[in-house]
Amino acid sequence: MRNVLELTWLLMLVVTPHAKGLSPPGKPTLTSCRSPEKETFTCWWQPGSDGGLPTTYALYYVKESSDLVYECPDYFTGGENSCFFNKNNTSIWVNYNITVVATNRLGSNFSDPVDVDVVYIVQPNPPENVSLSVMEDKGWPFLRVTWAPPRKADTRSGWITLIYELRIRSEGENEWETHVAGQQKLFNIFSLRSGGLYLVQVRCKPDHGFWSEWSATSQIRFPDYFHREKSAWIVITAVCAFIFLIITWLLHLNSHSLKHCLLPPVPGPKIKGFDQQLLKRGKSEDIFSALVMSEFPPMSSSSNIDDLLVEYVEVYVPEEREASKDLDSGGFKSETSTSDSDSGRGSCDSRTLLMEKCGRAKEREDRTGERAEQDDWEDARVDARGRTWPSVLPHLLRPSDGQIKARSDVNIAASGHKQSPARWSVEYVGVQTVAEDDVVILRPCGGREGCPPPPTFHERDYSQVKRVGSDDTLLLLQKLSEGTVDEGGARDASHKNATCAHSTTPMSGYVDTAAVFQMT
Amino acid sequence: MPRNLTSVWLLLASISLGSRLANVAAAPICANGQTRCRVLSLANLFDRVIQHSARMHGISNELHSEFQEQYVVPSRNHIGRVSRNCHTSTLLTPNGKENAQRIAREELTEVILKLLMAWRDPLWHFHRIIAHQHDLANFSSDKALEMSAMVHELRKGVEKVAEKMQTLGMISNSVSTLSSLEDLLPSDSGEWRLMKDHELLYCFRRDSDKIQNYLKILKCRIVPEHGC
Repeated sequence: MRNVLELTWLLMLVVTPHAKGLSPPGKPTLTSCRSPEKETFTCWWQPGSDGGLPTTYALYYVKESSDLVYECPDYFTGGENSCFFNKNNTSIWVNYNITVVATNRLGSNFSDPVDVDVVYIVQPNPPENVSLSVMEDKGWPFLRVTWAPPRKADTRSGWITLIYELRIRSEGENEWETHVAGQQKLFNIFSLRSGGLYLVQVRCKPDHGFWSEWSATSQIRFPDYFHREKSAWIVITAVCAFIFLIITWLLHLNSHSLKHCLLPPVPGPKIKGFDQQLLKRGKSEDIFSALVMSEFPPMSSSSNIDDLLVEYVEVYVPEEREASKDLDSGGFKSETSTSDSDSGRGSCDSRTLLMEKCGRAKEREDRTGERAEQDDWEDARVDARGRTWPSVLPHLLRPSDGQIKARSDVNIAASGHKQSPARWSVEYVGVQTVAEDDVVILRPCGGREGCPPPPTFHERDYSQVKRVGSDDTLLLLQKLSEGTVDEGGARDASHKNATCAHSTTPMSGYVDTAAVFQMT
Repeated sequence: MPRNLTSVWLLLASISLGSRLANVAAAPICANGQTRCRVLSLANLFDRVIQHSARMHGISNELHSEFQEQYVVPSRNHIGRVSRNCHTSTLLTPNGKENAQRIAREELTEVILKLLMAWRDPLWHFHRIIAHQHDLANFSSDKALEMSAMVHELRKGVEKVAEKMQTLGMISNSVSTLSSLEDLLPSDSGEWRLMKDHELLYCFRRDSDKIQNYLKILKCRIVPEHGC
């Protein structure tokens, strides 16, 4: 009877739930156990199906080397389906054998047991107080990240040792750059872009355990630094300057060929009958013989001695750059300027004979015919190009006879007049006569007198140098021409007595003392 | 003037050389009773033994992982099942932070030394077994040998630290010397011979972590200003 009753009960128990779909609970599973500071720990489980009935869960554990079964002390602190072990119930280096049981009206179900040693399940909280600051290292900025260990982890007593890791990315990027910081709580990051916004996160891990979650993102904006850009500009400028110098040097080396390219040389003038090669290597006689045209001067074969006069003036060049002519006629200075180097030499442009200071005409008269020695030459200047200022100091001649021997010989001052030395002046010398031996006799155009025209010369005459003698003598060709008045000689107008060129006196002849010839 | 300069240079050179020599001479020999020398060298000693113990623990961790894969299916929490207690379970060791901080320095030092003592023979034996087994890779044998040697060296190092602390008066002289420790240990029952390799490695991994942790706590109690 009793057995029948029990059987009926059992049948009812079995049948009824099936009829409604009820069943004992499914098997729960322990998902994880974690300890934040190696002093407490929490375990979570995943319930199975509840079988349609209210199900309760219980956690039981057994410590190592003990057979006592304990139940979880705290089911609430850790949340739902959790068990929290506080400090008193936590032993380190002890193996916990933990099991979760799900129970409902119809039955219970045990989970698989799990062995837990707290040392190996430590997962700390994220680091705290992550601070970012921009520091400077010799003008170069860098980022300094500092943080503090999580509050609960006791690192000060040596109980836990944490190692840290941080990651950084700039605002636009997607990938993080990770840095391992070891046990230190400080990290410097270099070579960041100025002006960028950076995000930083830190996490930590115990010796053997799990990484914490990443801390909350800290961000900082890197300030703009011109220092870096300035130095880049300096480098660029230096490189450009260097390249420029090299180019300049190369151009300088090739300047000749470049000049030929850009500025082709102007072809020189061609002078008929003028041989440049001869000029370069020939002797002076040859050159001037070449210059002299055969038909020039065109004159008849008049044997008039006055028609074609060849005169020569000896020119002494006492110093290197000086050509001074000492004519005891007086000083005269003639200016010759040759037009150009090609054809000017040798030609005789008639120039005016200038007296620099015509006031000296007086003195001239006082001067005896002493040797005008070297003192008189000192004013002579010769321009290498062709300007000559052969200053012939006024040797006073005897005005009475008015004869001047136009010789550059120093000693020509045969007249007894001694002249006061070292004053030179420009004055006109007129050709008084031409002696038979082709000596031009000059006379000064004195201040009072003016230049009496030589008897035979009525007009302005130009002398042409026929050739230059070996001892620097000039062989002049004088041609008769209509005499004209040349007043250009009166240059030195400052001297009142410088009536060098008398207006009424037609200048007889101009000797172009082209003593420019420096036949080199 | 040049002579003066030469003499100045000579003087500077001699001073620098002398200081260098003095430094070199001072480093290995640190006479007792010198305050500056005392503090620095103890912290240095502590750092060295802690580094040594960390390395030892690292090797034991590696070996344990290798054996774990072979013998036991890895569980979710990476903890292997121990069917037998470790032979060092009989030793009273602090199992929590408060316990470790509460016990005296001398006791802590003794615990460290006892642990190190207890593992000398089993590790040596373990290495011999591993060396003879052909199916295991060679590097396991090398690690076992290194581990065994490290235990030996670490024990000597901790003894040195204990001596230093005693001479400096930081701990009392109640810490037993090596010979007396051996007497205090329970007689070698050879329990460890019955342990399987992976169990032995499991126990040693835990004990080496204990040693490292105790040393760190001891250091931060005695010389807290150096990196605690």
